Amino acid sequence: MRAMSDGPYAPAGPARPAPSRALGRAPSHAGAAPADPARVFDRALHRTRRDRAAARLAADPKAETLLAAAAERLLDRLDDVTRRFTAALDLGARHGLVAAALRARGIASVVAAELSPRLARMAAGRGVPALAADEEALPFAAGSFDLILSNLSLHWVNDLPGALLQLRHALRPDGLFVATLWGLGTLAELRGALLEAESEATGGAAPRVSPFPDLRDAAGLLQRAGFALPVADAETLSVLYPDVFALFADIRAMGETNAVAERSRRPLPRGVLMDAVRRYAARHATAEGRIPATFRLITLTGWAPHESQQRPLRPGSAAARLADALGTEERSAGEKAGR
Amino acid sequence: MSSVDPRLLEILVCPLTKGPLRYDPERQELVSEKAGLAYPIRDGIPIMLVDEARRLDGASAAPAAPAPPSAPPPATGQA
Repeated sequence: MRAMSDGPYAPAGPARPAPSRALGRAPSHAGAAPADPARVFDRALHRTRRDRAAARLAADPKAETLLAAAAERLLDRLDDVTRRFTAALDLGARHGLVAAALRARGIASVVAAELSPRLARMAAGRGVPALAADEEALPFAAGSFDLILSNLSLHWVNDLPGALLQLRHALRPDGLFVATLWGLGTLAELRGALLEAESEATGGAAPRVSPFPDLRDAAGLLQRAGFALPVADAETLSVLYPDVFALFADIRAMGETNAVAERSRRPLPRGVLMDAVRRYAARHATAEGRIPATFRLITLTGWAPHESQQRPLRPGSAAARLADALGTEERSAGEKAGR
Repeated sequence: MSSVDPRLLEILVCPLTKGPLRYDPERQELVSEKAGLAYPIRDGIPIMLVDEARRLDGASAAPAAPAPPSAPPPATGQA
């Protein structure tokens, strides 16, 4: 079945711009026919993963450590803004961490939208109106919100440009959108160890770690979706785990287990997994024997356009001469200085 | 705790057509006539997912979505 990856649906040259998906080109072991090449992620599977994460998040408060760290950075962005918000959406809310924090900040109307109905119910349990919704098909009327936040969910969306466009429509003019997502470089150590171990054992490797968008892609997408004053920045978080299995547990608790549509349907053989774990530890373990994992956190910020926002003037519309402001003499481009 | 929040009823539209929804308090559903789908409300939580919606034409509970006018065709062939 290996030859199937050579078919016309090989994921090279996507028609639509999409997050970097270098790993998607690896030989696929998938037995099922791959679908639309633009469809990187299996959303139904991702929903199941999030449903399962609900139980872990409920049982173990430590499971939300990374989610909370990212949420804190997300909410920090609001402190940089003097605007008061009245109608907020927490998109990809999981159990309502960000939504509850927005409530605590005194925003009158906060809504939590989450792909997993089970997690949405946990969010509702915090007293936030909640619904189940798919980021790829948003159910909100135009201009429903003046603030949309999304914590660590949008890297699972197949059509990120489309999702951003829908989000902008859901915002009122001058509404703010801020999102965190995992970017390229996230879990680089794990990806490397798995690739090495699997290709040595089988001569090929399936994408075991999801592809992540890179910073430049993300910034461009914001702009293309029509957001004003778009900003994308990134921060690297290094987290120490007692061992590689503790890292796996953390990934599962966030509902972040690989859901690449062309992922291998065969589970990783135990021997290969153990080899990858050994390689990971051998290469990266600290002197105390702890395992570092890199997470690259991208934060996106954009505003729904409004007349009041700063924007560049039209060329030729200047009312004062730059030369006057600089106290110098203006020369035409053809003249050389000093003659 | 099973009644849906009135704020949600104000802002929700059909995720496929972006058209209006009719609230059916008897069946606890949000009905999109244009898409021919009824989205269930469970414990006050609207489930705005196409594959959880009931088809109005009475077809069996197959989760397949009707082809939306503007969205890409739903992925098929997943075994």
